[in-house]
Amino acid sequence: MCYVPMTLQQARHQSDTEGNTSERQTAIDAEDVHVTYDDGTEAVQGVSLDVEDGEFFGFLGPNGAGKTTTIKTLVTLLHPTEGSVRINGYDTKTEPQAVRESIGYMAQETSIDFELTPRENLRVACRMYGVPREDREERIEELLDLVDLQDVADKRAETFSGGMQKRLDTATVLVHRPPVVFLDEPTTGLDPEGRLRVWNYFEKINDRGTTVFLTTQYLEEANELCDRLAILQDGQITHTGTPDELKSAIGTETVTLTLQDSSEANQRRAMDTVRRLSTLDAVAIERTADGLTIEADNVRSATSDLFTELAAANITITDFDIRSPTLDDVFLTLAGEDDVGANGVAGDTVRSQEVSR
Amino acid sequence: MSSITDGPDAVESDSAQRASGNSAVTDARISFKRWLVKTSRNPYVTFTSLVQPIIFFVLMAEVLGAIAGGAVSQSVQSGVTYVTYLTPAIIIQSALAAAAVSGIGLVDDMETGMFDKTLLSPMHRSAMFLGKVLSEVVRITVQTGIILGLGYLLLVLKPGASPAQYLQTGPLGILGIIVVTVIFGGVFMAYSNIVALVTRDREATVMIANLLTFPLLFISSAFVPLELLPNWIQAVAVANPITYGVDGIRVLMLGQDVLSVFEVTAFTGLWNTVIPAVAVLLGFNVVLGGVAVSLLKRASKSEVQ
Repeated sequence: MCYVPMTLQQARHQSDTEGNTSERQTAIDAEDVHVTYDDGTEAVQGVSLDVEDGEFFGFLGPNGAGKTTTIKTLVTLLHPTEGSVRINGYDTKTEPQAVRESIGYMAQETSIDFELTPRENLRVACRMYGVPREDREERIEELLDLVDLQDVADKRAETFSGGMQKRLDTATVLVHRPPVVFLDEPTTGLDPEGRLRVWNYFEKINDRGTTVFLTTQYLEEANELCDRLAILQDGQITHTGTPDELKSAIGTETVTLTLQDSSEANQRRAMDTVRRLSTLDAVAIERTADGLTIEADNVRSATSDLFTELAAANITITDFDIRSPTLDDVFLTLAGEDDVGANGVAGDTVRSQEVSR
Repeated sequence: MSSITDGPDAVESDSAQRASGNSAVTDARISFKRWLVKTSRNPYVTFTSLVQPIIFFVLMAEVLGAIAGGAVSQSVQSGVTYVTYLTPAIIIQSALAAAAVSGIGLVDDMETGMFDKTLLSPMHRSAMFLGKVLSEVVRITVQTGIILGLGYLLLVLKPGASPAQYLQTGPLGILGIIVVTVIFGGVFMAYSNIVALVTRDREATVMIANLLTFPLLFISSAFVPLELLPNWIQAVAVANPITYGVDGIRVLMLGQDVLSVFEVTAFTGLWNTVIPAVAVLLGFNVVLGGVAVSLLKRASKSEVQ
């Protein structure tokens, strides 16, 4: 057998596969990306990303933050005005074809052919990506199973519900088994059940080793799915971290107690009791109209001690509520750092609308 | 020998690696098949390709034929029935209806995101559009064949008509008619895609297609010999591609020089019509096609600096 020199692509290809087995590799590497549209809009202003192979990475931000522009830049639909992007080691500007062959991209709109059936949609996608003929049927069946569309595989997609269409869309971006998948607001417009199902598929894909990059405006979604996330505002990443890191960065847990006897004397007695409790590292204790609010890092673990001590002090609790910080808190707090000054009192309602949209 | 280097990779690539892509010919075929299936499933296509020509053909032959039949056999050739005269107009009208909606598929793909999706696939971009154009060529070819058959049927059914006169140039003429029709279709495919790419709006594409194309039929040699029409219509007809499409087909049916807007004598017999008509249509194709392609290229590229 004679020696066949490898092309550059083959060489890279091989080093990729070797890399997978030994050490983790960078799937998405963006450096100081700026995107300025022709009309002068600076949609992305210096975004840097470093997403590892196999990670589930979330990109969280309100409408108009630049999420879609960023994702389009990552998948070669737009070119960065400044900065550079490498996906799976390929530069999006100089090797767009190599990038395209190694990614799957699901746009915000449901990008399927509505006049074709799921099976036909998948077949077209398989052929577009050059999936070998002998693998096609097996892969189509596998994907139909994955997204649970076997029963309707030969019905035209135009009759489907939004959730079914979205699931089909998910399947079509996976035909070539891309190592990295980009999902742009994949659950916008789905009902809660449809959303849960789609989440389930994304997790399955990620479990198979696929790197997933997801943009969302739903905090719950980012919290549920992502290993790590970045918060994008006005074209810039303001924070990056795991959901827990982001949550703990802003906050502590809070327990609110309602006391049977809400007289000031009784409240003060309760406050003293709480202060004496060594197992609870209270950050702040405040009196409310009918009880107390206690902020601490370890409210949950110290709850039983707290209740025991209060009972021993003859203080009767009629109601209680423990809250951990949610990503909503994170988001509102972070957004608030910029907004409150300008918007004053109205800031709060404005921001919560932005989030819930 | 390449299997040696490919071997270990092939196993790995099963889990997750780069897609391979295809040759340009395969890409064109993939796109062609997709559009053909879509076309065959679209009820609007069945209507414009089959039902509409039949209705128009029968009505126009009966109504206009009653008025203009005499004038036609006077000004063109004695013994030519109006059905024979009208057939090219109906062929062109149907080709127009098919070509003028070409942009809708493009707008739909842009709206659903299929456009971006195909751009992001390893497919050859020109092959992908070629496939779509080819599917429209097939549609135009099929409906032209149907209308030619329908015209013959009308002549057979009509008492006193002479079917022998229907197609003077024989089987080669049929081929020629299809070629002229396809070239003609290209003009309006390009036009429709330009509208689609400029407006990026489905409704606008449909509206502008209908608005312009129907009147254009009347400002041409389609239904009545041009010399019988007012001067302004004769003047506009010179710049109307429909005139050249209709004349280019009519000459092949009647087997004689019928070019209605200007006199060409450089060639012999029917070539005096065929060559100038095809040349003008090709000119339209080059100009409008060039605009469409450059717009398409711009749309396929990123819209940032």
